[in-house]
Amino acid sequence: MHQSYRYAIAYFAIFGALLLISGAILFVSKLGLSYESVSLFYLGNKEQFCQPKSAYGLLETALPHLGAMGLFIFVTGHFLLFSSKAQKHKAILPIKLLFIAAFLDILSGFLIVEGFHFFIWIKIISFLLLQLLGLYLLFVLFNNVIKGIAFNKRTS
Amino acid sequence: MKFTLVKDLKGDTLIRPLLGGLLAFILLFLSSDILLKSDHIGLNPTALEQTLFGNEEEYIEPVTEHFLLELMHSDIFFMMMTLLTLSAVYARLCQNQSIRNFNIHTTMITALLTIIFLPLAYYLSKAFILPYIISFYAWHILAIFMAIASLYYLFIPNKSKL
Repeated sequence: MHQSYRYAIAYFAIFGALLLISGAILFVSKLGLSYESVSLFYLGNKEQFCQPKSAYGLLETALPHLGAMGLFIFVTGHFLLFSSKAQKHKAILPIKLLFIAAFLDILSGFLIVEGFHFFIWIKIISFLLLQLLGLYLLFVLFNNVIKGIAFNKRTS
Repeated sequence: MKFTLVKDLKGDTLIRPLLGGLLAFILLFLSSDILLKSDHIGLNPTALEQTLFGNEEEYIEPVTEHFLLELMHSDIFFMMMTLLTLSAVYARLCQNQSIRNFNIHTTMITALLTIIFLPLAYYLSKAFILPYIISFYAWHILAIFMAIASLYYLFIPNKSKL
């Protein structure tokens, strides 16, 4: 692979990590990580003058995330096609789980406002899974790219 | 990323207009981003300071923490996708390795600095406002240069040594 591509992919991994971190900060500051805080965000509370979320309002956030999350996981995962067979094999499960976690993360908001309170836990778990697996995949990608850059410099 | 595997980009009748269109859209995206940010948050020290911290005399409210976080979150996504695609095209078309690597590194690093300087300006000190504006313009100008250079290499034959 071209050395300049490796640099571009390494930067992509750094941007990806920043994207996940900024998403995590937003999630924690808006929804929180407890059952009560997530419930308050979606279902509201009359005593605290907190309005419940409407399905249409949730769709406004879900729509860009559906496109962005799918694209992000695909682009990150497809770079591992250039890695070794063992690395590729290791990445299959995290990639599948990432797609499932991203889908559940988006879907659970709608189900919570429809009254399926159990999905508050699914929301929290899928979000944490998305963050951890995303960072793991980006780390694997970054590690492979840096090794490739170092190998290329040694041999040239 | 199929174009990274096609040997003769200039000779390929499908890849050439495809990359040309992509680069034209990237150019439009970059220039629109400058215009939008200039209107939305301001791209001079006075305007950006008013956006971040408000102005009591002119009854301007400061932006909320959530607004800033959402702006950065969406900016990072568009930045990473645009710069990855642009760098991959540029790396394939620019034949001079040192110029190619210098441009890719500088654009990426200045883009990363904008992500660091904006929250530093909001949470820590107003002194980071000017570095944010400088790095914002720097990565946009460099990315515009990379897009124009790629278009030049793609459509002007035998001039790819520049």
